[in-house]
Amino acid sequence: MDFAKTDEQELLIESIEEFCSRYFNEDLIESMYENGSVTDEILKEYLEAGFGLMGIPEEYGGIPCDKVTLGILTEEFAHHAGCVTSFLNNTLAMSDMIEFGSEKQIEFCMNAYMESGKPIFSLGFSEPAAGSDNQAMTSVTKKQADGTYILNGQKTWVTQGELLPYVLVVAKDEDPSRENKSMSLWLIDKNTKGVSTAPLHKIGQQIMPFCEMYFDDVVLTEDMRVGEKGVGFVNLMKNFEMERCLIVAQCLGCAQAALEDAAQYATMRETFGRPIANFQLIQEKLTDMEIALENTRNLLYKTLWKMDQGESVRLDSALVKRYGPKACYEVASEALQIFGGLGFTTEKRVGRIWKDLRGHMIAGGTDEIMVYIAGRQITKKYQA
Amino acid sequence: MKILVPVKIVLESEDIQIKGDRSLDFSKAKPKLSDYDCNALEIAAQIGDNGVYALSVGGEALKDSKVKKNILSRGVDELFLTCDSAYEDLDAYQTAQALAKLVEEAGEYDLIILGDGSADRMAQQVDVQLAYALNLPIVTAVSHIEVEGSKLKLTRILEDSIQNIEVETPAIISIVPDIAEPRIAGMKDILAAGKKPMHEVTTELEATQSAETVSNLAPEQVQRQQNIKDASDESIAEFAQALKQAANL
Repeated sequence: MDFAKTDEQELLIESIEEFCSRYFNEDLIESMYENGSVTDEILKEYLEAGFGLMGIPEEYGGIPCDKVTLGILTEEFAHHAGCVTSFLNNTLAMSDMIEFGSEKQIEFCMNAYMESGKPIFSLGFSEPAAGSDNQAMTSVTKKQADGTYILNGQKTWVTQGELLPYVLVVAKDEDPSRENKSMSLWLIDKNTKGVSTAPLHKIGQQIMPFCEMYFDDVVLTEDMRVGEKGVGFVNLMKNFEMERCLIVAQCLGCAQAALEDAAQYATMRETFGRPIANFQLIQEKLTDMEIALENTRNLLYKTLWKMDQGESVRLDSALVKRYGPKACYEVASEALQIFGGLGFTTEKRVGRIWKDLRGHMIAGGTDEIMVYIAGRQITKKYQA
Repeated sequence: MKILVPVKIVLESEDIQIKGDRSLDFSKAKPKLSDYDCNALEIAAQIGDNGVYALSVGGEALKDSKVKKNILSRGVDELFLTCDSAYEDLDAYQTAQALAKLVEEAGEYDLIILGDGSADRMAQQVDVQLAYALNLPIVTAVSHIEVEGSKLKLTRILEDSIQNIEVETPAIISIVPDIAEPRIAGMKDILAAGKKPMHEVTTELEATQSAETVSNLAPEQVQRQQNIKDASDESIAEFAQALKQAANL
């Protein structure tokens, strides 16, 4: 068993640290949260430094790398920036397109990505009544006599949906009923007649806002379909496991930043004539926080390592998504508590991290859905 | 233009611990590329259209594979090293002598660029000593370089003036850090670094100590905290004096 990072991974972390100290500061982060996006300059620099190309195949100009290294990339950016960013969403969106798109679609999306560092499209998967219960989805396309399709439906929690010009939508083929499992993916220009959006206001993670998206008699053509007809959602599910892991990696980095802030504050803040770090109640908090992060880290990287070995992580990815975001949220909460009143102001970033991490207990599948996924796998695993 | 860049591996200063008796504990300090050498590598990578070769002389720290890959991930094509535990603590003269051997190994070149000084000692001596060893012209404190054929047009920043100097290659220059912001090595550069040529060169040079270290201690801690708790004229004057002292006014 080897927990050591490679030279390359250690150098990557040094580069990330340098990148974050050069391009991120608290004033800028605050303005990015107010403006609802990472700046164009940072997105471009992120791409040009090669971080945004990691995990993309070489034939499309990318830098292939293992899943463990992608986890490190995500964790360390959150750690050194001290906030969530859209980098992880952008990487996942490009992975979806590269895996399922036609050569023409991939070229179109990669050209736009290489130009700006932003994917040209957001992902429209969830619906008000269909999140992890994807069979309940009712968005539907119906084929017309002229060979086109008409899309009707509504999507929600579309991250960066108002910012990005296209959307990748999953919709049922022909029949919206629960029994119909045939779904397809469509890449739709938001300027297409019948597409509209409405903002949703988050209480955290405002740096990457989401929105509602409505499709009223939107005319689609066959060339807008991404991947094979009928297997849209099955395709997407393959990438959900990686999404869960990268969400946890982002939680881990943010919670690590909160822990470091709190530990440093505890050695400086004095009450009753001595630093609060000398009180056992604070020491207990710091100890449990460190344990929570180490447990999350071990579970996360073992899962990513198994993915790199080609092993199934259906159970592992649900376990890490069940455990990690809650553990990291609790670390942020305890970090805030160590700061006392100061932690509950906007003077310190710990409050922002605490709010952001609460969202990750829901994003990519709630903690409760993870129990549903893991529970079934565990009974299978131990079946007599 | 083919450029050689001598670099130094130093210990991470943040990891050096001060013991109770003010002596320094280096045992936890990891080796790293000296900060000012990153600027020298960057400007070399920008103008070195015919290859950039890094050179280094030192002790065990140079065996660290991560350090070597770090150098090679910064626009460097090849690395030449002389690594020997006897060379752990060479003085500037001996370092320049050993570097001169590496320069010979690296073959023909147009320009040698050095950083402002090493991040540990900042003696700023190796550049001039190397110029002496190689019998080359040297220009220090260079803040801008323009290449015109075999000629360099250099801007040199001094405390009270700015000089414009022209020099024929081959030559040696040492630069001020502002000349170029070091690149952030991306994953592609990092992955490529491990595949680039690294040459280990042994020399016959005998390491001798020209100076003896009598003591190496951290400065004494000065108690600067003062409590002034009332608003009397005397206390306010005392407070103002303390502020002036802290700001060195």
